[in-house]
Amino acid sequence: MTPLQHYLVLAGVLFAVGAWGVLARRNIIMVVMCLELMFNAVNIALAAFSNYANLGAGRGEAFVFFVLAIAAAEVAVGLAIGIAMFRLRERLDVDELDEMKG
Amino acid sequence: MQFSTPVFYIVAALVIIPAVLMVSLKNLIYSAMAMIACFSGVAAVFVTLNAELLAASQLLIYVGAISILILFAIMLTRRRSGAVGIFFHRQSWAALPAAAALAVVLGLVLGSARFNAGSSPKNPATANLSRLLFNQYAFPFELASLVLLAAIVGAVLLARRERRP
Amino acid sequence: MKAAVLLIPLLPLASFIITGFFGRRYFREKSHYLSVGSVALSWALSMYVFIQVERGQTLSWQLYTWIAAGKFHVDIGFLVDELTAIMLLVVSTVGLMVHIYSIGYMHGDKGYYRFFAYINLFMFSMFMLVLANNYLLLYVFWEAVGLCSYLLIAFWYPRLSASNAGMKAFLVNRVGDFGFSLGIMLIFVTLGTLSYSGVFAAAGTLGGGMVTAICLLLFTGAVGKSAQFPLHVWLPDAMEGPTPVSSLIHAATMVNAGVYMVARSSPLFAHSHTAMLVVAAVGTFTAIFAASIAMVQNDIKKVLAYSTVSQLGYMFMALGVGAWAAAMFHLLAHGFFKGLLFLCSGSVIHALGGEQDMRKMGGLKKKIKITYWTFFIGALALSGFPGLSGFFSKDAILSGAFSEGYWYFWIVALITVFLTAFYSFRLIFMTFHNEPRGDAKVFAHAHESPPVMTAPLIVLSVPTVLAGLLLGIPPEGGHIDHFLHRVFAAAIVAPAHEFSFLSGSLMAISAAVGIGGILLAWHFYLRCPFLPAAACKRAGRLYPLLLNKYYVDEIYFAVIINPLRRFSGWLWRIVDDGVIDGAVNGAGWLSVGAGRLLRPIQAGKVQGYLFAMFLGLLALMIVYILLML
Repeated sequence: MTPLQHYLVLAGVLFAVGAWGVLARRNIIMVVMCLELMFNAVNIALAAFSNYANLGAGRGEAFVFFVLAIAAAEVAVGLAIGIAMFRLRERLDVDELDEMKG
Repeated sequence: MQFSTPVFYIVAALVIIPAVLMVSLKNLIYSAMAMIACFSGVAAVFVTLNAELLAASQLLIYVGAISILILFAIMLTRRRSGAVGIFFHRQSWAALPAAAALAVVLGLVLGSARFNAGSSPKNPATANLSRLLFNQYAFPFELASLVLLAAIVGAVLLARRERRP
Repeated sequence: MKAAVLLIPLLPLASFIITGFFGRRYFREKSHYLSVGSVALSWALSMYVFIQVERGQTLSWQLYTWIAAGKFHVDIGFLVDELTAIMLLVVSTVGLMVHIYSIGYMHGDKGYYRFFAYINLFMFSMFMLVLANNYLLLYVFWEAVGLCSYLLIAFWYPRLSASNAGMKAFLVNRVGDFGFSLGIMLIFVTLGTLSYSGVFAAAGTLGGGMVTAICLLLFTGAVGKSAQFPLHVWLPDAMEGPTPVSSLIHAATMVNAGVYMVARSSPLFAHSHTAMLVVAAVGTFTAIFAASIAMVQNDIKKVLAYSTVSQLGYMFMALGVGAWAAAMFHLLAHGFFKGLLFLCSGSVIHALGGEQDMRKMGGLKKKIKITYWTFFIGALALSGFPGLSGFFSKDAILSGAFSEGYWYFWIVALITVFLTAFYSFRLIFMTFHNEPRGDAKVFAHAHESPPVMTAPLIVLSVPTVLAGLLLGIPPEGGHIDHFLHRVFAAAIVAPAHEFSFLSGSLMAISAAVGIGGILLAWHFYLRCPFLPAAACKRAGRLYPLLLNKYYVDEIYFAVIINPLRRFSGWLWRIVDDGVIDGAVNGAGWLSVGAGRLLRPIQAGKVQGYLFAMFLGLLALMIVYILLML
């Protein structure tokens, strides 16, 4: 039996990779994709806990379901925004979206 | 079903390597492909965790819907001029150490003895999970569907072309 | 008597305020009425006070408490004793004469009202100075007379030399006053009081070194105010002021403040033999030093200025050897005859339309008779000609020095008598005798001054002649000695001497020396007028040395002023511009730079914000982990 820590470390590393991508990439869509990675990492962790820990059966899994649903919604809206931005500016550079500066 | 540790390592590799590839590849389409591979790997992880329904849902939603959505978005936002552009930030040199640090910290914490858990797997069978979803978590379930509805409407609205005479 | 004492200074003060404020618009040429009137009243009151004091009535009166700060207690109070009375006599009489004289001398001047306002302020300050009963009040009015001196020296301020002279006077005085204030502080620190009565009562309790230190510090104030070496440099330059100012302030009153102060502090000085020796030495040296310079000066007022410095030196010598009454006697006599001499010189200048260089004078004897004769009388007094006041007062000093055993001071003083007589009559002969050497037109226009100016001359010659006979006979233990005996009782170390063969022969010697000086001047300037020029050439380097006042000013400039200027310049450029401005500007630069560095934090880039959040999260996690460990 693989210990719980293995799964958690996997989730953690995946999360870090996703974070790296979110911070480092310049294309909005790329950022959204890496965001999904982070969601997945969280899902793994939740499922692992649900499997191993004594917290009530199935709760973690249910939570993952909802994360899935909401992540999907969020991706849809985010991408829609991205497309709208693209239509406006012909480019998807995150650095150019700095209207909130100052 | 019990899975032994080497299986875990294979599955873990299936998750991590595409993820890293995805983040580092310059070509968006290649990144998307890697992403799909990563999601599939995550589904495999769910299988090893006795969460079969989750694995199936993952494949359906992430691989089947979200990845396609992303691919669509990528296609739709191709730059006409064809210029390469910059893919990584000027500050990306700072992001990598930061993320590495996070990985190290998380690994140290999560891998520590605090998270020693019992050996008996407890994830319920699909039938029981479904019963859970529709009884105890019925309300969040409905809410989630409402959120999805809102997302649909919003996405359609946002992505519409402005064509007013 | 209290009312009189209070009114004496207040009348001129009121006049100052009124004339000062309203003089320009309303009084103008009539400004002198109030001015002279108030001083005349003060003079009358001073006479009254003097008579009262003569009858034995003295006054020590606290008007009100000025400062009461814990241990530090100072009152506004008056002390009227014999010493005060003499000072009042001199100040008010010469003051009144000068006021009247100024009506004529300053006639037509644009600042007429300002002049009278200022000299009224001066009279107020000087009166308060001599009436004060504690050191702090004395110091306040010490400074006040210094201020008036500055205002009056630089009266014709559009002239650069005049305003420079005023500044020089003030600054040099300041140097002396610094020592003076240190002395006063030292008195307070050691004795806890500043009132005369308190200090003199406790003077014996101080240690020898402390008393010497205090006395020396007080004396530096006197050195500054009374223009002794090395702080004498301001007095000759002060001649830039109008002649009445020179007469009143720089001959008869303000410069005597130093002498007065030391005399007043006699109980203190009597405890320190060293300090008294220093006083005497400085005074004696200054006397001969200034007399030697006066011998070769060509400006009529400069001669008189150096003469004043020299005579003040005499007074300090007297104080230093313990001949207190003799010093005050000479102060009195000198106040009258030097005041007279200055007014006379003003009359000459007025007659010649502003000429002050004696080389351009001559032959005025017949033309301005009153001035000539009063001038002559004054010069006789200055030279110590037997019978006049100067003779008695100077002789009192000389015999005082000799009998106390300071024969070396006596010899130097005797030489100075010779020089004094010489330069006094050099002055007379060059100005009035021989043929006119100046501009013929100016000479033709020369006329006697109006009665407003000549009357004071005549009035002042009276005490010049009589003061000696009235007060100084018999020479040892004369009227003035008895008058002042009570004041100086604490300080007189040796009993008063009686008139004896020794003192008689000393008198004869000094008289002979004085007459000798007059004869030499007669020889040089009347008999053989070519002699002076020849003597100058023969003297070689000595003549320029004397003419240029031993280059003291130049030395000061090179050693003190220029280095100070360079230092200030350095401070200005390096410290002020560089360090201080640099720090202030640097603070500004720092802000700007910091802003520039920190602005990207809010650049509007979402990933930047995310990164910051991420780092924060990481930090928190690490801290949490460390805490958990």
